[in-house]
Amino acid sequence: MNDQRPTLPVTTIALLVVVFLQIPVIVVVLASFSETSYLTIPPQGLTLKWFEAVLTDSAYLGAIRNSLVLAIGATTISMVLGVAASYALFRKMLPGSEALTSLLMSPLIIPSVVIGVALLQYFTLVGLRGGFVVLLLAHVVITVPYIVRSALASLSGIDLSVEEAARCLGADGFTAFRLVTLPLIKPGLVAGALFSFVTSMENVPVTIFLAGPRQTTLPILIFTSVEMGVDPSVAAVSTLLIIATVLVLFFAERWTGFHRFV
Amino acid sequence: MSNLTLDHVVKRYSSVTVVKDVSLAIDEGEFVSLLGPSGCGKTTILRMVAGLIDPSGGTIRIGDRDVTRLPPNKRNIGLVFQSYALFPHLTVHENVAFGLRRKGQSGAALDARVGEALAMVRLAGYGERYPRQLSGGQQQRVAMARAIAPRPNVLLFDEPLSNLDAKLRDEMQIELKRLQRELGITTLFVTHDQAEALSLSDRVCVMQDGVIQQFAEPETIYRRPATAFVASFIGKPNRLAGTIRGGRVALDEQLELRSESDLSGDGRPVEVFIRQEAISLAASGDESVNRIAGTVALRSFSGPQVKYVVRIGSDQELVVEAPSSGPAGDLAPGQPVMLEVHPQDVLVLSRETAP
Repeated sequence: MNDQRPTLPVTTIALLVVVFLQIPVIVVVLASFSETSYLTIPPQGLTLKWFEAVLTDSAYLGAIRNSLVLAIGATTISMVLGVAASYALFRKMLPGSEALTSLLMSPLIIPSVVIGVALLQYFTLVGLRGGFVVLLLAHVVITVPYIVRSALASLSGIDLSVEEAARCLGADGFTAFRLVTLPLIKPGLVAGALFSFVTSMENVPVTIFLAGPRQTTLPILIFTSVEMGVDPSVAAVSTLLIIATVLVLFFAERWTGFHRFV
Repeated sequence: MSNLTLDHVVKRYSSVTVVKDVSLAIDEGEFVSLLGPSGCGKTTILRMVAGLIDPSGGTIRIGDRDVTRLPPNKRNIGLVFQSYALFPHLTVHENVAFGLRRKGQSGAALDARVGEALAMVRLAGYGERYPRQLSGGQQQRVAMARAIAPRPNVLLFDEPLSNLDAKLRDEMQIELKRLQRELGITTLFVTHDQAEALSLSDRVCVMQDGVIQQFAEPETIYRRPATAFVASFIGKPNRLAGTIRGGRVALDEQLELRSESDLSGDGRPVEVFIRQEAISLAASGDESVNRIAGTVALRSFSGPQVKYVVRIGSDQELVVEAPSSGPAGDLAPGQPVMLEVHPQDVLVLSRETAP
């Protein structure tokens, strides 16, 4: 077979799948412009008032702020811990590296609800409850696997002797890591950080068990608003989230070409 | 510039001892090769000298300084890796500058040193390229420039030429030798390629199973191997079983050879090594040489050389190498031949306990 182009049926099916997957996104975006006070497709009229409503609503703004602080904090901590752990695991500095890796990755496999309940019980037992720190720790637990996974994948892709070369040339261990290993694994780490950020931003099942009234995050607020009756402001805030995600992914790809590590 | 001394160095990994009590003194400016089959401990020694592996025992000294417990960055060494290990995200210039920057150099002085190092490996003008834009041989030269730029006390090479093709390898050998001569840096060179070790080195250290078998000049290693292992590892020798009998070495009931090796101890079982290229198929008329009658069993032509398998004595075989253009280039299987071997080329060594 010299012709590498897919046949017409394959192309058609692929397009249909892509459209099907994007329908929810399209629906939400369209609904956010509707003048009606309920969600409807196609939108009736065209207005930006729901966006205005979201951006002037202190509940939404507070939730967005909470979510951002939490996602940035959790990702930063996960990054430091995850990269350090991956490095040690990759270099087989510890006995039982395989088991430790599985342990760190386990939040990906265990259902989030279970993690949520478990953490709630644990924090109650140790006397930590309903605070930002609790939420931050929980988000570190659920985001660290993404960092570890991408860091391990990146490390296995580089020639370890480059770091030895740096050390022979007069760099101490940390300098060698900073000047040689880190730049080489950076694209993978950016990918991991994005996953971590997004995971923290969208998490409901773990957060809902642990967040106190003052720690309401954006997905929790959307979740509860939907329960109480949907108006297009929910669609508007979702649209804002979608736009922000697309922009972040676009620039991250431009800067690092991280898709190779996803 | 300094000498390099290893004193009773040992490396153990839980149950396995890979380097067993190795002592080695390398003079200032000397080029020494560690030669041996894979797993003989040569790379482990190199990495211990570099500080990348901690020895289990013994001392390593560079000049007067005990470096045994120092990290690599405190040893002032240059290491050239088999994989080159260039920094892929840095330009050639920055690769070479890396070691100089760690020593606090910058600006014009740094640029001058980098330029000098690149000129030495004949890569002037390649500074702005990235390693991936260079050929294998060029990358290897950048690796050398990077190692020599900070003026290390000791240069270490870990099989640096084994990733290059044969022709390029020959060129790089000459280049490397020239470079080392010009700089006069004490050099430890690890290789499993005997031709490379013999042609480059001032002295060669042959190793087996973590033990030094012989440490001597290339000519001595080749002509007077100290052990059966060295004799069988260097060159392409015929290896025969024999017994000492009346000041000669007997290969079987009829066949006795004269040798310049130690032939004391009547009845002692020995191993006899005769190099393929030391056996002559032409009659010289010289009375002092060994004459061995045999029959050509096999002929194999390889361009400039012809190889014969010659059956001798009752059931032994010798491989003989002859120039294909000479009179002995056209012997047919089944043809009787008279082989001549000089007594100095008959090496008699004690039989090793292990095969």
